[in-house]
Amino acid sequence: MGLSYLVLGVVAGLAAIERKGFLQAMLSRPIALAPMTGWALGDPHGGLLVAPPLELLWLGAVNLGAALPVHEALGTVAITGGAVLAGRALGVGVSPEVAILAVLLCAPLAHLGRVADRFVELWNDRLAVRAEAALAGGDARAAVRWNLHGLVAPFAVAALLAPAGAALAAVVIPAFLRAVPGATGPLRLGFFAFAALAAASGAKALRAREAPRFFYGALGGALAAGLLIGGVLS
Amino acid sequence: MSPARVPPRTLARVFWRCLFLQAAWNRRGMQNLGFAYAIEPALAALYPEPGRRREALERHLQFFNCHPFMAAAIVGGAIHHEERVAAGEEPPGAAIRYKTTLQGPLAALGDGFFWTALRPFCGALGAAGALVVGVPAIVAAVLLYNVIHFSLRLGLFRAAYRGGDAVVPVIARLGLPLAADRLRAAGVALCGVAAAIVVLRGAGAAGAAAGIVAALVAGTGYAALVRGARLLPTAYVAALAGIAVAVAGHLHWSS
Repeated sequence: MGLSYLVLGVVAGLAAIERKGFLQAMLSRPIALAPMTGWALGDPHGGLLVAPPLELLWLGAVNLGAALPVHEALGTVAITGGAVLAGRALGVGVSPEVAILAVLLCAPLAHLGRVADRFVELWNDRLAVRAEAALAGGDARAAVRWNLHGLVAPFAVAALLAPAGAALAAVVIPAFLRAVPGATGPLRLGFFAFAALAAASGAKALRAREAPRFFYGALGGALAAGLLIGGVLS
Repeated sequence: MSPARVPPRTLARVFWRCLFLQAAWNRRGMQNLGFAYAIEPALAALYPEPGRRREALERHLQFFNCHPFMAAAIVGGAIHHEERVAAGEEPPGAAIRYKTTLQGPLAALGDGFFWTALRPFCGALGAAGALVVGVPAIVAAVLLYNVIHFSLRLGLFRAAYRGGDAVVPVIARLGLPLAADRLRAAGVALCGVAAAIVVLRGAGAAGAAAGIVAALVAGTGYAALVRGARLLPTAYVAALAGIAVAVAGHLHWSS
């Protein structure tokens, strides 16, 4: 179990670096990160269940100028890790009811991550000052190397917070579902309601011209097509 | 005096270092440290004398902020100008003028295309596809994003290095704002499709009531978010509303 938290910490830390400090190739976005986190914990299907709603929920989490978005990578690792570990403790894997409880418990971590990012930026101010001092001392190479030191703080913040959130979920979710077994059905419905809201959040984040027409039109059209195909097949 | 040239291997090193542009993003100089880190190998090649190299690095340690992908064009163009500065063909301020002139417009262009159009579109594509076919859709979406993103990043770096200020018409010809508009519209439609898949899956997994609740949440949730409702509280309300409906239905049928 301890190894699982270590793995979660490393995955969260690397994702936090990829998210802003290095590359930005979508590997730290929920759609890729949740299945990778699940895979790292031995349950890729668990990660696959939460990936689409989390991606859509945080589709608008982008770093525009000096504005800080929520830390969607931290939230994703905590939610996926918590769901996988709770599902393992229950012996059922990640089900919709486990997933929605993990979301409700761990999603605020994404907001806490944004607060932590503010402190990381202040920490980086010191690195810039040190780089200027090294350059004034005549050591150009040492001056620019301070840039890489900026990767340490985001790694550390995510590597500590994500396993903490997952640990909370891994304790609370099995205890709750064992104490209230009748909650399974309502929680399952809650998961689909959350996923539907996440899709709406994605549409809103895109800010396209005539977005309501596209969103409601696609929703209605795809629903009609799905019902038609379902009716024909049955 | 013939212009000094940065060797191709060094240019490759600079491009690699561009990937770390935001490693130490700070509120004083923003990407200044990342920019200096990226361009340092080129400056070391152009200015063997420590004094001139230090002066050049000081120039590039000043405030800088741009979209991290579009910044590749600025790094490439800055090297183009530094080669001429090193050869005595341009004054030392030429590279800085190039940076300060382009960083704002390219930041706006990059934010508008990559951050608010291409990446959300690929995210929506991956999410909607994953609901139907799973992992292959995610791999396809991430690949699509990276083929476009790396092609532009590398292409702009090379074009700016070769042409300096001539990169501006190259960027204009890409038509990024129009492409962004189309990607946003397609992304919204993909979100609508994703919502419909969730509704159908909900109905399949938890009964018709789950499908109806999910459809209502998608419709009213979108309207609420557009009117300014905060995301996380709205997500909690949506999930708890779904749970409450199921509990109410259970109590109704059991009474």
